[in-house]
Amino acid sequence: MTAIRISGGAVHDPANDVDGEVRDVCLEHGKVVADVGPDARRIDARGMVVMPGGVDIHAHIAGPTVTAARKLSPDERRDDPLGRTDVLRSGTGGLVPSTFATGYRYSLLGYTTVVEAAAPPLAARHVLAELRDTPMIDKAFLILMGNNQVLFELIRESGGAVSGGRGRLEDAVAWWLEATGGYGVKLVNPGGVELYKQSGGHVDSLDDEVAGFGVTPRQVLEAIGGAVDALGLPHPVHVHANNLGVSGNADTTLDTMRTLSGRQAHFAHIQFHSYGGKPGGLPRSRAPELLEHLSSHPEFTVDVGQVMFGPAMTMTADAHVSEVLRDLDGGKWISHDTEVETGCGIVPYTYRAGNYVHALQWAIGLELFLLGQDPWQVMLSTDHPNGGSFLSYPKLIRLLMDRAFREDQMRRANQKAIRRTALLDGVQREYTLSEIAIITRAAPARRLGLRDKGHLGVGADADVTIYHDRADREEMFATPRYVIKGGEVAVDDGDLRLAGDGMLLSSRAPFDPDVAGVLEPLFGDRYTVAFEHYPVRDPALREPARVVEARGS
Amino acid sequence: MAELGPVTCAGCGLLCDDVVIDPLGDAVTIRPRCELGAQWFSERASRAANAPAATIRGRPVALETALTRAAELLKTARRPLIHGFDGATVEDARAAVALADRLGALVATGSAAGAWPGAPAVPLHGASTATLGEIRDRSRLIVIWREDPETTHPRLLDRLGLDGGSRSERALLVIDDRDTATVQRADLRLAWPRERDLEALTILHVLQRGLAPRPSELANELTGLADRVLAVPHATIVYGAGLTAGAGGQRRALALHELVRALCHGRHVVTLELPGAAGTRSADDVLAWQTGYPQGVDLAGGHPELVTAIGPLAPSEGVDVSLRVQSATARLPASVTEIALSSVPLADDEDVEVSIRTAAAGVAAAGTAHRLDGVPLALQAPLAGDGPTAAALLTRLLGEVQR
Repeated sequence: MTAIRISGGAVHDPANDVDGEVRDVCLEHGKVVADVGPDARRIDARGMVVMPGGVDIHAHIAGPTVTAARKLSPDERRDDPLGRTDVLRSGTGGLVPSTFATGYRYSLLGYTTVVEAAAPPLAARHVLAELRDTPMIDKAFLILMGNNQVLFELIRESGGAVSGGRGRLEDAVAWWLEATGGYGVKLVNPGGVELYKQSGGHVDSLDDEVAGFGVTPRQVLEAIGGAVDALGLPHPVHVHANNLGVSGNADTTLDTMRTLSGRQAHFAHIQFHSYGGKPGGLPRSRAPELLEHLSSHPEFTVDVGQVMFGPAMTMTADAHVSEVLRDLDGGKWISHDTEVETGCGIVPYTYRAGNYVHALQWAIGLELFLLGQDPWQVMLSTDHPNGGSFLSYPKLIRLLMDRAFREDQMRRANQKAIRRTALLDGVQREYTLSEIAIITRAAPARRLGLRDKGHLGVGADADVTIYHDRADREEMFATPRYVIKGGEVAVDDGDLRLAGDGMLLSSRAPFDPDVAGVLEPLFGDRYTVAFEHYPVRDPALREPARVVEARGS
Repeated sequence: MAELGPVTCAGCGLLCDDVVIDPLGDAVTIRPRCELGAQWFSERASRAANAPAATIRGRPVALETALTRAAELLKTARRPLIHGFDGATVEDARAAVALADRLGALVATGSAAGAWPGAPAVPLHGASTATLGEIRDRSRLIVIWREDPETTHPRLLDRLGLDGGSRSERALLVIDDRDTATVQRADLRLAWPRERDLEALTILHVLQRGLAPRPSELANELTGLADRVLAVPHATIVYGAGLTAGAGGQRRALALHELVRALCHGRHVVTLELPGAAGTRSADDVLAWQTGYPQGVDLAGGHPELVTAIGPLAPSEGVDVSLRVQSATARLPASVTEIALSSVPLADDEDVEVSIRTAAAGVAAAGTAHRLDGVPLALQAPLAGDGPTAAALLTRLLGEVQR
């Protein structure tokens, strides 16, 4: 492996308080090192911007839902083929690219680590196989646990109380991570998906009971959020709150935050959960109120889930949301129910600048970015591909860094919606390069507990992106000059030079093996897969992986 | 030897993973009892001892000789086709698509020759589906449309909870004008000729909207069916090639999915598709994630293109060399030179230029397969075997082709 000296670039490494300082960055054996010998390859980065490789904390790139979306939308990818080369596999792009195309395009964008944010544990083998076919990037996945009937039973047995110490639920969560190779725990519309599958129902209040299970969404949040916290997993519970997309859902979001108060938690695509108004009526923005709450709770982080005008592919475990979109749009729709664990809905969708609701969603996302006080708490995402493709990140970055561009785009959007946000109140903020480095790599890596990523200190993974310092920030972030992955130059002037596999990231917490004796009878009544065959043991799927241990393991 | 298991049986798309096998005796026996499963294990268990590692035109040759010949054929092929996948694993399919990408081959996850499974309907409209456990636990009415799972997927009805215990809570309705084993288990059977399926689906669509169809005997029958579906909160329609194969199949499948979508207001209705072979779902999923397209893909242009065939692929595409993966038979034109990788004896061995024996995944080799409802499962290797997997052979061929 070649040693590399990146010489003379302006380094933006906010995790190490480096803000545009011109210095060398040295790489060897896949790591950032203090120095390299004179024979090291020198990359002349004068006039360029050097950042750690990008880290996407919330996207949908692999698994049965993503592949169902691919099957649903061949027409959408027909005009975006990727040809094979001596090094690269062929594929197709579009909103839901094929696996190889996904890896290549993230890499071309300067991203080196991506989290698949919603994997049914039952489908872990499928998710892992797809991730093995997603090259160039390191990748992790979060397992869906917010509507798991077995966990409902354990929560009910405990009376919904958080044990405070290690209990069966903690052991069960740790067992599930071990069984699947997952990295973290995701709650999607906790309790609500099961209600939808039962009767088409939904959650009005966090204290609604999930029929037949004697638990409430609040108890699920407290119990599983508490279990993840108690286990000390590297990434805290990752919450897609109840009532996504519903006018007035900011009340639910704030109630969810209050429920988890004092525990570490990450709230996903918060834009979709920041609405005022009344259910069934037109939404308005309550982003400032949520940001105020966030600012007083350093234990919480969010990613925005920015909506970008244009085509999107909505895909979610929150199947009720898809049913609503299906009836709004009248187009294609996939629904798939996974026993015991979750639901799934997929609807192609287009966000239109002239549409009041879409423009409001767009503006709320920008409010969250621009009014938020601490970029370490508010991270960049489009909930790819729900709010738009990850390929729109450069445009989103330009919206944040270039006020004139932003105001021009605002003028093109539905003015009634824009007027109902704070964007017209003279928001002058323009993100700095270091703030962009925070929301696109440093903060996500830190929140994921990936100590070797998101920074350029000695010992960090040699994942580095080097950009031309262009005035057009969209062009700058769309076309990195170099992308270095694991110490190897992967992208050179827009060309993919190698097709490394990337690494699977898993987490692990110790658990009492006797928990299997508790889980097995609960499995037997519910799953159509034998308990002993549920865990993924195949080394070809599980290895090689970097396993991040829970705190105190 | 004692009984072995539980293991996963890949004898059909159900992939029952609670199977205990007894390999002693002339044939493997299994429990829970399933003749199809027992036959599947028996064919593959005996294969290991008796079959040559490879043949060329039916004559035994060394494996290396066969691989060299197969690689030559593939490298010089003008229009190669990779197809079959009846018994393929996910690993086999991943390796096959990788090879196809390098060759610029045509890939078909169903039969490229004989019975055509029909053009896919899901990309045009979508679908409502569920895993077996969801259907078992929620559906109060299960409609089986012109399929005979008692023969093709023998434990399906039991796995959907139609096995007596909680049977009183749910009903089985079979639409078929044949006297099948499944019809024998139906609570209610409706029979009309296959040619009237589209008409029946259209009438059902009218009925679910609360409108009156044009009076007919069929409409009278369907009124009762519609009433039953509309009366339950959860229902399932099981279908397959009986509805979708052949001319007009895509239109019938579309009509089914449109009907189900319309029914999903105020109730939850799902479909369950019975694949023609156990490996079809695995191969289809892999093809979709690696190329973006399911079922049929042409890689000849250096990138994937969806093949929207209106009939069997091979005859119409000018294929000169085919690589058949884990399928016992194929009826290709005589002009096509065939290579076959199979864990079971080929019915047409002497017509195949190169035939290579593989280990049988689920018997003598481990692997992964996707159940008909998409659930991925591990396949175990309860019996000893010495053959390479199809995935390993395909990877070897890729290496040879790249050399």
